[in-house]
Amino acid sequence: MSSQNPDQWAEAFRRAVDSDTELRAHGREYTCSYLLDMDEHQVAVDIYKGKVDEVAFDPGPLDRRYQFAVRASAETWRQFSEPTPAPMYHGIWAATFRRDMRLEGDVLVMMQNLRCFTRNLELLRHVGVPV
Amino acid sequence: MAHVSPVTGHYVTFEIDGDEYKVFYLENGSGRPLVCQHTAGCHNHQWRYLLEDREITDQYRVIAYDLVRHGKTDPPSTREWWKEEYLLTADFYTRFIVSFCDALELQDPIFMGCSFGGNEALQLAYKHPDRFAGIVSLEGADYSPGFFLDWWQHTHANAAQVCASGVWDLMAPQSPDRDRWATWFYYSQGAEAFRGDLYFYSVDHDLRGSLADIDGERCPLVLLTGEYDYLTTPEDSRRTASQIRGAEFVEMEGIGHFPMSENYPVFRNYVIPALERLEERIADSAARAASHPGPGPEAPTSGPTA
Repeated sequence: MSSQNPDQWAEAFRRAVDSDTELRAHGREYTCSYLLDMDEHQVAVDIYKGKVDEVAFDPGPLDRRYQFAVRASAETWRQFSEPTPAPMYHGIWAATFRRDMRLEGDVLVMMQNLRCFTRNLELLRHVGVPV
Repeated sequence: MAHVSPVTGHYVTFEIDGDEYKVFYLENGSGRPLVCQHTAGCHNHQWRYLLEDREITDQYRVIAYDLVRHGKTDPPSTREWWKEEYLLTADFYTRFIVSFCDALELQDPIFMGCSFGGNEALQLAYKHPDRFAGIVSLEGADYSPGFFLDWWQHTHANAAQVCASGVWDLMAPQSPDRDRWATWFYYSQGAEAFRGDLYFYSVDHDLRGSLADIDGERCPLVLLTGEYDYLTTPEDSRRTASQIRGAEFVEMEGIGHFPMSENYPVFRNYVIPALERLEERIADSAARAASHPGPGPEAPTSGPTA
């Protein structure tokens, strides 16, 4: 779990995405909006052309629209964000097939952005998760 | 002079059901043939390190082929394949491999396949135990549902990236970036075959209820599966091995679904002992056959269960 408050975490997340070498090299068209549901907290993220446009921490029920959501227990997200995660917590596919993670909403948008989105979430292993 | 690899590439042409297949394979080494099958939607470069591992090539003629529609093995020129939906069946896959071994006149080869090749290894053990001296099934199980998905060829997504990043989690996070990305790169090249390959992997391959008919004494069989494999988990392979007479299973720590490609230094620590174990069992089987000649090759051999 990150020791940062929500604003600090959101800023660290933004910096990690916006400065990431891989996303800079391959994310020119990486554009989507998604929700990370960590049970204890939710984070809505807008990405535009490879950079974070907006991060909303614990948005209200009708505050945000997003294209797809990744939902899992706080414990699964904590395991996912370990520097070297344990088997079956080591990716969104693994945790969806074998743990309690769920991919919901317009999964086509996730597939269209899969390479960059995968890298985007792996940055949680540097930033930590707010749960 | 720059280093030139001892690995050489060749084509061999043969027919199956009247269709002609010009099959590309890489080879290196001498000794018993070790026939290597890549994973679904991929090609023989997954075996790049094993092909140059002197400890193995001093004892084996390593042959890593591209299955039809993969790598440098084109779809058959005798068919209008572009008018057909590609769905790989267990029957064709099995006949293809046996035909390939026959075309090269391979004597007593060991077959080693990974993922859909690991499942096919079990099909070969089931249907052709007398054609192979031994079998290594990597990341294989009796049944592996769930991956025959339309996402692999969806017209509204970048199929190359969906296939390559869709299998990213199958690798262990501690495997070296260089080799994980090489494996990703291979997967970006195989999107048109991947979905059809997975028809075999997740649908047509189903040996539930048939494992008792596989004789791992007659054709020694070893299963190896990585702990980070979320598709065919170590539990799946362990369960499969436990139902096959004479089969042995070893879980590979710190590695995933593409062991030979994602982290060869770790993989070789498992595959070399597995090959040594197979050779021991092949020798034991031959000694038993010599001391107790049976009525013919179709008769099951007896012996201790491993």
